Amino acid sequence: MIEFHHVSKTYGPALRALDDITLEIRKGELVFLAGASGAGKSTLLKLIFRDQEPSAGQILIDGKNVTRLRSRGVAALRRRIGLVFQQFKLLADLTALENVALAAEVIGVAKKASRTKAYHLLRELGLHERYDAKPLTLSAGEQQRVAIARALINDPILILADEPTGNLDAETAHETMRLLLKARDHGATVVIATHDTAMVNRYGDRVISLRRGEIADDLRRAESSGAVA
Amino acid sequence: MTLALSGFVLRRVGSSLWQLRWSHLLTAATMAVTLFFFGAFMLLQINLEHLLKGWGEQIQITAYLSKNVGVDEMPALLARVQALPEVERVRLISQEQAWRDFQTALGAQSSLLDGLPRDVLPASLEISLKPAHRDSPVVEQLAARLRGEKEFASVDYPQEWVERLGLIVLAVDWAKWTLGGLLFLATFFIVSSAVKLAFLARQDEIEIMQLVGASEELIQAPFVLEGMIQGLVGGALSVAMLWGLFVLTQSEFPTLAGFMAPLVRPQFLDSASIALVLVSGWLLGAAGSLFSLRRFIRTWKATGHAA
Repeated sequence: MIEFHHVSKTYGPALRALDDITLEIRKGELVFLAGASGAGKSTLLKLIFRDQEPSAGQILIDGKNVTRLRSRGVAALRRRIGLVFQQFKLLADLTALENVALAAEVIGVAKKASRTKAYHLLRELGLHERYDAKPLTLSAGEQQRVAIARALINDPILILADEPTGNLDAETAHETMRLLLKARDHGATVVIATHDTAMVNRYGDRVISLRRGEIADDLRRAESSGAVA
Repeated sequence: MTLALSGFVLRRVGSSLWQLRWSHLLTAATMAVTLFFFGAFMLLQINLEHLLKGWGEQIQITAYLSKNVGVDEMPALLARVQALPEVERVRLISQEQAWRDFQTALGAQSSLLDGLPRDVLPASLEISLKPAHRDSPVVEQLAARLRGEKEFASVDYPQEWVERLGLIVLAVDWAKWTLGGLLFLATFFIVSSAVKLAFLARQDEIEIMQLVGASEELIQAPFVLEGMIQGLVGGALSVAMLWGLFVLTQSEFPTLAGFMAPLVRPQFLDSASIALVLVSGWLLGAAGSLFSLRRFIRTWKATGHAA
């Protein structure tokens, strides 16, 4: 599904954010990228959805090299990826429903169909009664659910989440994680960057730990014990 | 672009036009001022050309006959000049007729002529030219040719006025394109800055659109469309302002046009000129937006503000 081959990313001559990363994430996996701030978690995610280009190496998604895509290719790639951020990234002047539908409308789905699907997703996430609320009137947890609904609306094959529980209380954070697990159960591959060890220990199928731009550990949960090993 | 995407773009344009209405109006007004100056020069040029054309119809060459041309030779001379390809009409003014005309012109002062011989004024030919040959060089060439003939003592035509008015028309044409060009350039950058401001005001929306896979064309389309609408509104405003100027100055026209006023009626821009003003506004808006967007998106990406 996702393959990194000797990928490095440097910012100028002095700062090496990722150093010779080689890894493979299989379809349907739920993977945590763990590590302290500045370890390279967010950079790794940004390389996958082509917010940034690697300085060296190759990245393949579904067998396709996405290392040097042009803008049209980047747009096509992102239509298959759902993105969730710590800051939610919702538009303040749009309602919850419009925020979710926007992701479908920009790729050419008709307005009515987009909004119908957005409403169904919000209902699935327990937010249908607040579909016409503006983001600023929603709680942090509700805003994150709207963001997750937006990430799911185009039936992505891959969901990338950057610190999705960073702004949430414990209960809402667990709710958010349950939604991401549900997406994984529906067949999507989910990659989550976090430094929340409690989340990693509780939900991680696989945990890739990064330290100073290098892979420090790559552990899979032992199916029988349920512990990350 | 599909129907659904076109609908999406139109909704974004409608929402932006409403949300940033003052900024859009200000840009359209700036474009209107530029197009007004351009149109004003065009209006002036059209009226000068019209004036020149109207006056050209009155242009005559007066060829004074030599004393040695006998009355019996005059019909043949008249026929020869009439046969020239540039000539529309020739009228013979005999010495007797010239005397009477002069007397009439002097009116109450005609007694001044008492004592002068009645053949003191020469006979002449008043030559009117065909419309296609009323340009200054043609008039000059024909006059020079007639001067070379021994039957004519002198040849006159209002050369200075023909040339001066022609030069004024040329100067207005140059001013229109030079000043118009400079104003267009200035407005182009004002439009570019306005688009940049609109872009900054909507950068969250653009970033999110990029993150969810919107194409660059889809992101840029609303801005370009807004630029076109601003240009068209600016063009329409400038035509309205020009009409106002035209109505206000119409009563002043006799003073402005001087002795030529009775020859012509003031003209407003024809439909082709109005279309030119509107299309110029439309193009100015579209080009300013596109130029600004391409540059701005490149810088925005390079500085890491966008995905």
